[in-house]
Formats: sequence, C-alpha cells, structure tokens
Amino acid sequence: MADQKKEPGILQELFNTFFAKHWPVWVGGVTLGLLNILLFTVKSPWGASGGINNWGENIFKLMGISAFENAAPTGTSLYGMLCLLIILGSFAGALFSKEFALRIPPKGELVKGFIGGALMAIGATLGLGCTIGSFFSGVPALSGGAIIFTIGLFAGTIIALKYLIWEMEKFPSFSSGKSFTFLAASEKKGQWQIWLGWIVSIGTFILAYRVAGTNGVLAWFIISGLLMGLICQRSRFCIVKAFRDPFMTGESDGSVGVMAGLLIGLIGFTAIKFFGIGAGETSIRAREMSWVFGQFWLRGLLGGFIFGLGMTVAGGCAVGTLWRVGEGQVKLWMAALGFLLISPISKHYIVPSIVEALPFTTKFKSYLPDYFGYAGAVLIVLAIILIWYVFVKWNERTGKFSAF
Amino acid sequence: MEIKETLDCKGLSCPMPMMKLAKTIKGLNSGEVLEMIGTDPGTKSDLPKWCEKTGNALVEEGEVEAGVFRFLIQKK
Repeated sequence: MADQKKEPGILQELFNTFFAKHWPVWVGGVTLGLLNILLFTVKSPWGASGGINNWGENIFKLMGISAFENAAPTGTSLYGMLCLLIILGSFAGALFSKEFALRIPPKGELVKGFIGGALMAIGATLGLGCTIGSFFSGVPALSGGAIIFTIGLFAGTIIALKYLIWEMEKFPSFSSGKSFTFLAASEKKGQWQIWLGWIVSIGTFILAYRVAGTNGVLAWFIISGLLMGLICQRSRFCIVKAFRDPFMTGESDGSVGVMAGLLIGLIGFTAIKFFGIGAGETSIRAREMSWVFGQFWLRGLLGGFIFGLGMTVAGGCAVGTLWRVGEGQVKLWMAALGFLLISPISKHYIVPSIVEALPFTTKFKSYLPDYFGYAGAVLIVLAIILIWYVFVKWNERTGKFSAF
Repeated sequence: MEIKETLDCKGLSCPMPMMKLAKTIKGLNSGEVLEMIGTDPGTKSDLPKWCEKTGNALVEEGEVEAGVFRFLIQKK
C-alpha cells in the first residue's frame, strides 16, 4: 500500500526520541538541574530576571535615557545572553518537533500577559530574584531568603489563581474572541520548520565557537542556554505549573519535575559551596554566598508574592515566559515585553525607596549553613521538598485543595 | 457520536485551556461528549493525563488543520 509507513532509519528514530513526543517533566527537571550545576561550576548559577532586566536597560539606553547609559551590552552580558539563548533553544525545540506557530490569543489575554509581566518585573526587582534565581537556584544554594521568597510565590499564585477562576466565571468574554494562528505545521506540512531548527542550532554553535576564543564562560553560557531552552520546551518545564496545578486540576507532575531539579541542584550546589569549587581568586566565603541575596525575610516575601501574582496571570514564570516566547505564544511575548520594560523602571525608580523604608532585619543575607551547619541546612531543604511532595501527591488523590 | 458542546480554546495558552475544560465538563451530564479545539501544544500532554486522573474518557484526538488540535471527551 502506498501510504503504508516504512520503518524509520536509526538516526530518524534517534531524532524522534527527542522530538516526536513531549518529555516527562522530571526529565526536564533533572537535566536542567545538571546544567544549573555546570553553570555554577563555570561561573554562577542559573538566573533569569537579571537577563531580562539587561534587555530592558539596553532598550532604554538606546532611547537615550541617561540613567541606563552604563548598561552592559546584551552581547557581553552572561545572563542577557543566557535568556536570549533560552528563547532560541525553545524556538529550535519547537521547530524540530513542528510545534512552532504564531498563536495570537484574544485581546484580553494579551492585556493579561503584559500586566503579568509587569508584576513579575516588580516582584523580581523588589524580592531580588525570580522563580529561577530565588527558587530553582536559590533554594539549592541554601539561601534562607529564597525559602521565604518561595512562600511568597505560593501565596501570590493561589490568590491570582482565584482571580483567574473568578474572571473565567464572571467575564468569560475576556479570554475568548478572535484568535489567529500562523505558520503552523502538521505531520505532512511544514518541513521548513525542521530545516530552520537546524539552522538555528548550528548558528548558535558557530556563535559560541567564535566567542570561545575571547570569552570561554560566555561561550559555555550560550551553549547551555540553547540546551536549557530546548529542554524546557520539550518537557514543558514551568514553575507556575508546579505551584498552580495542585490548586487547579490537582495535577502533580509539574511539581514533581521541579522537585527533581531542586534535588539534583542541591547535591551539586552543596558540594561546590562546601569545597569552594571554582572560587578562583575570590574567597571561599564569597563562593558560599553565591545566590544568597539580601532578601530575608520581608523583602523576599513581598517580592515573591508580587512575582507569584504576575506569573500566574501571565501563565508563565520567568523561564516559562522565555520558552513560550520561542514557541510562538504571543500572550507571552506581551509578558516578556511587560517584564523587560517595567523591570529597569522598577529597579531604578520604585524599589530603592521601598527598600530604604525596610529595616535591615527584614532584608539581610541569610545563609542556612551559618545557623544549622551544612548537614542541618541540607536536611531542612530535603524536609521541605519531602513535605511538598507528600502534599501534592495526597492532594492529587483526594482533590482536597483542587479548584476543579 | 453526538457532540453536546464545543469549547473553542484556539490561541489560548496554559492554563486557560485546562481551566476552561475542567469548568465546562462540570456542566455536562454523565456520558455526554465535549469537543475541544485548541492550539497550545501543552494541551496534547495535559489533557490525556487529566482524563486519566479524572476518569473522563478521551474518545478521539487529532489535528483538524495545521496546528489546531481537536479532542473529544466523554464525561464519566
């Protein structure tokens, strides 16, 4: 028969392993955790809001606003490039799996995207970090402030989810109406996506190769960013999902995937800090204090709360926004725009006066091993992850805290 | 198979499609079939998992045109 499928070749089969189906979220969590350790070994852990802020500062610099004239060009900024490459990596992942399309949602969703992005920007600049820096990296970095930031994230997520459900019940028209999809592929159509995927990937490797001679660390960040974006897109790794879904549909896969990444990160980060690996010319103490920010406790709590509101309204955390931008979700383009435009404004004009008003005891660097020793600090983080795990699994069975 | 209601989630991204689906299915009677149309690739993995968990049956899954997915879900 003419349409009978022939068996794929060995290389085609390998390609299909990665791109025919989504990966389980925990595979994403584990591989992202490993790459996070490698980033820390080479320089410093994964972060996202700083990179997005760098883009915003460069836009204001281009507009000639003097407050931002010292912004590092994105091409030389490690985190600016890392974020950019996460978008490109996700773009490549979506192209390889023929999942790329420009998806333009109804107008109300675009507005929510922008507002969510703006709130994330305020939360990140106030709380010193986002779901990556102050959660996915901050918690394994044994930062007390990151744990408090996480509590704020949870609270913000739950409240914003209640808003979304209310909006859906009372104003269903806000999230419905005209939508458009362009450039989509199907099983038989759109082979160009796979070709473009190769061009993007090979182009990135050439870029990294050219940079490697003068800045090896940046080259490594470029390759890691590409892989991280691709992994996120394939596993649909999203931290809002991890926090929100237990309270929405009761689903726990997203949460467990993130926990897997935290566990891997915890092992690697603890070793790096304990032995001062990669300290170079800086002190071991400086290495230990990497990704421990002056946010304990109120600063982290407030920032986390606002960030939690924003990411839930936008439908993407810092990294969830970036990789959905690469996949062609235009709502998240608006979220990224809101984030990058508001972040520098918040950082320079809004946050300083708030932070000044906060007493020092509410915004200091708290490094858990200083209080509990390394073993104690690791045990505390493990206990938190275990309690979270038991909660989401129990909730999945009973539906006690699920909205639906 | 008679389709009781159609839910259009085209253009919407996570979490709106799953939220709307969970809400709409609540309003149906046991055995009735909901047709859901969407464009978010996430739905392709979220929806079957949700059906498995809730016991609603995913009767049909396919692509109506490039990038537009269609699911038929029968309420438990």
